Amino acid sequence: MSELPPIPRPEQLPLPQPPGQRRIVLPPHRERARRPWSVRAREWIRRNLFPSPGGTTLTILSAGFLGILVAGVIWFVFFDANWNVITANRWLLFAGSFPRDEAWRLWTSIAVVMFLIGLAYGTWSSLGRRDSLFIVLTGAFVIFLMAHGGAAIWSSIWFLVAIGLLYVGYYLTIWMPRETSMRRVWQQRVVGGLLAVSLPLVLIILMANGGATTRQFDGFVLNLILAPVGIVGGLVIAIPLALGRASTMRTIKWTCTAYIEIVRGAPLLGWLFVALFILTDVIGDNLIINTMVVLAVFTGAYMAEYIRGGLQALPSGQYEAAQAVGLTKMQSMQLIILPQALRISIPPIVGQAIAIWKDTTLVTIILTLRELKGNADSAIAQSEFIPDRIEAYVFVAVVFWVVAFMMSRVSQRLERAQGIGER
Amino acid sequence: MRFPTLKGRRLTSALLFAGAALVAGAVIGACTSDEEDQQAQAQDQQQQQMVQQQEQPQAAQPQQQQQQQQDQPAQVTGEARENTVQLVKDRGTLLCGVKQTQPLFGFREPDGSVVGFDVDFCKAIAAAMEVDLELIDASDASTRFELLANGNIDVLIRTTTITASRDRELAVDFAQTTFYTGQGFAVHAGSGIGSTADMGGATICVQSGTTTEQNLADHFTDLGLSYTPLGGSDQETQDAFLAGRCDVWTADQSNLASRIGVLDNASDFVILGELISKEPLAPGVRDYDSEWKDVVNWVVHGLIAAEEMGITQANVAAMASNPPNTAIARLLGVSFEGGEVSTLGFDSVGAQFIQRAIAEVGNYGEIYANNVGDAVPRACSLNALASEDKSNCPVGTGGILYALPYR
Repeated sequence: MSELPPIPRPEQLPLPQPPGQRRIVLPPHRERARRPWSVRAREWIRRNLFPSPGGTTLTILSAGFLGILVAGVIWFVFFDANWNVITANRWLLFAGSFPRDEAWRLWTSIAVVMFLIGLAYGTWSSLGRRDSLFIVLTGAFVIFLMAHGGAAIWSSIWFLVAIGLLYVGYYLTIWMPRETSMRRVWQQRVVGGLLAVSLPLVLIILMANGGATTRQFDGFVLNLILAPVGIVGGLVIAIPLALGRASTMRTIKWTCTAYIEIVRGAPLLGWLFVALFILTDVIGDNLIINTMVVLAVFTGAYMAEYIRGGLQALPSGQYEAAQAVGLTKMQSMQLIILPQALRISIPPIVGQAIAIWKDTTLVTIILTLRELKGNADSAIAQSEFIPDRIEAYVFVAVVFWVVAFMMSRVSQRLERAQGIGER
Repeated sequence: MRFPTLKGRRLTSALLFAGAALVAGAVIGACTSDEEDQQAQAQDQQQQQMVQQQEQPQAAQPQQQQQQQQDQPAQVTGEARENTVQLVKDRGTLLCGVKQTQPLFGFREPDGSVVGFDVDFCKAIAAAMEVDLELIDASDASTRFELLANGNIDVLIRTTTITASRDRELAVDFAQTTFYTGQGFAVHAGSGIGSTADMGGATICVQSGTTTEQNLADHFTDLGLSYTPLGGSDQETQDAFLAGRCDVWTADQSNLASRIGVLDNASDFVILGELISKEPLAPGVRDYDSEWKDVVNWVVHGLIAAEEMGITQANVAAMASNPPNTAIARLLGVSFEGGEVSTLGFDSVGAQFIQRAIAEVGNYGEIYANNVGDAVPRACSLNALASEDKSNCPVGTGGILYALPYR
């Protein structure tokens, strides 16, 4: 059987030999492909853009609209806008009152985080060409902003090093042999552990041994600290809450339900008021810590419901199978139920993470803390930049979009790596 | 799945419930005692005082005594009042609430520092107290007074207008005004509008939900004219006016001047001389804290007096070592020709607190020139034209800054 040659596919068959000058007639799709590209392009345009009077009208209208839009954007970005408001205020927008002598702590933190991201990518996913393009574009954008005016050469070099470290981490994990499943498991454990301690590690780098105080977290740095604390803290709170709400013990169930319903029932704005006026008496005067607590508590309530959704989505066969092989309740949760439930909940959890990322702007309104958007407000109060507020807000919007888009990409990668939607 | 026996579950539930109840009780208890500790807070005081005033007629006390008690609330309740002077000295830091988004008055430099006219008064007070200064963001108009009442800040210097209702209804007291302005109007050059009387039927950009909006409505009711208001935030109204979506833009005149003066096409716009309201901007402190209010008040008066007397940041040290007259010696807290130095009762901050404030930021005129002078120049002269701004000039030069006698 294996001796037989493979059956040729139709296009691999030899074409019938033309007797004399007779023209070869191919099947229609191959006939079309033989024509020159200009003819094909013309046909494509006629078919897709001008198929009928109605279609032609629509094409002309939308082309006009798009043309005006694109021309407007190009006009604004390259000719009309005064981007000096951003470049002159890059330190204010980035770190504000963070002590300038300690700026190396910021760069070190970024480098460490980049390295860990590289490790994580190599362990669970792979860097595609589009990811690399995105990273390079973002990096170029940041370096352009920092180096404008030539004042921040060292910061730019640091940042290049940080991007380099991302790839070092990535190729380190790719290069590591992981044929055996045990090695792979250990690699995942080590990298997972490093990720778990990354947030405290960054805080230690920023604050330990004469570094910044929490009150000096300012500008974009504050967004970058608050959002991960809220997201990670929220997840830590959410898992026991979700399990508690699904519990059969009434006290636990009621307590968890009450927590979720009370916290979800009031807007984040309201809870930030609690951080400002009530937690100052209960926890302490440090508003940043109070905000972290509120963000984690608030995010936890939402994420608990998403995880509960994941728990409920599991067929009861999973619970029964776990029981049938003799696992205790704890073991079945840990090994069978939770991994699957969390996997199902990835999309809404990332959605909540993006929401909390954008909600960090609220701290300026309520909490007397200054984050990126608040510092943009301050920048356009400088006399020479009063007319340039659209530039400032466009910049802030782009920065928030870039980070939210990154989260969304990572979520997609995670989903693909976990095989969601492929069953 | 075999669950634990019902008995066991109930027991666990009961134990958990008891634990939760204990924790809840402890939290409530802790919160209550916290509140008791901080009863000196202004809002609590107001409530207490109101309760007492309600009780008093029942006690049928003599009218005079009741009146006295209302005048001296600190003695009525007999409790230790929060003394911000002591609080600030113990803390070693003054928490000053400033705006960080207001051109000229409170904004941030590219290096992250907060600067402006209001900020200089914070610096002056911190220097007078010999403490560090921490500037707290009070940009949000809706929470500024709560920040003060809650103790997040010690003093609020944030382009805040004194009004009777704020003084009476909120837990805030105002010190000496630092900046006098009024509600003014900006129009497009060549529009032919010279005063509010010409504005019948005009579209007017005005910030929503402010006293500015109310003043405008009142003024046009008085004039018997109609107009179309176009609301929005401070900056939205600016954009709408510059884009020509409204004929007139109304706001505090200093605000108009600071926002229009920096434009490339500033000559396309005209700021009218007419003012339709008084907007005295003053530092706010908590109610029932007279010692602290006195300190803030007299730092401001001291800086105004320094301008009258010609004491500047540059010459204050020389003046202090060799004072030319008794008034200057007293203001700077130094001896005049071997005479005695009196603290005038300012024992808690020391006799030289005004001297330290001047050394830090200069006199009132210098603060004005350093922050506001370019955008809103003042013409301090009795010969100044009526159209020129001289409100914030010393009283002898046509302005209304009147330093009270420091003796």
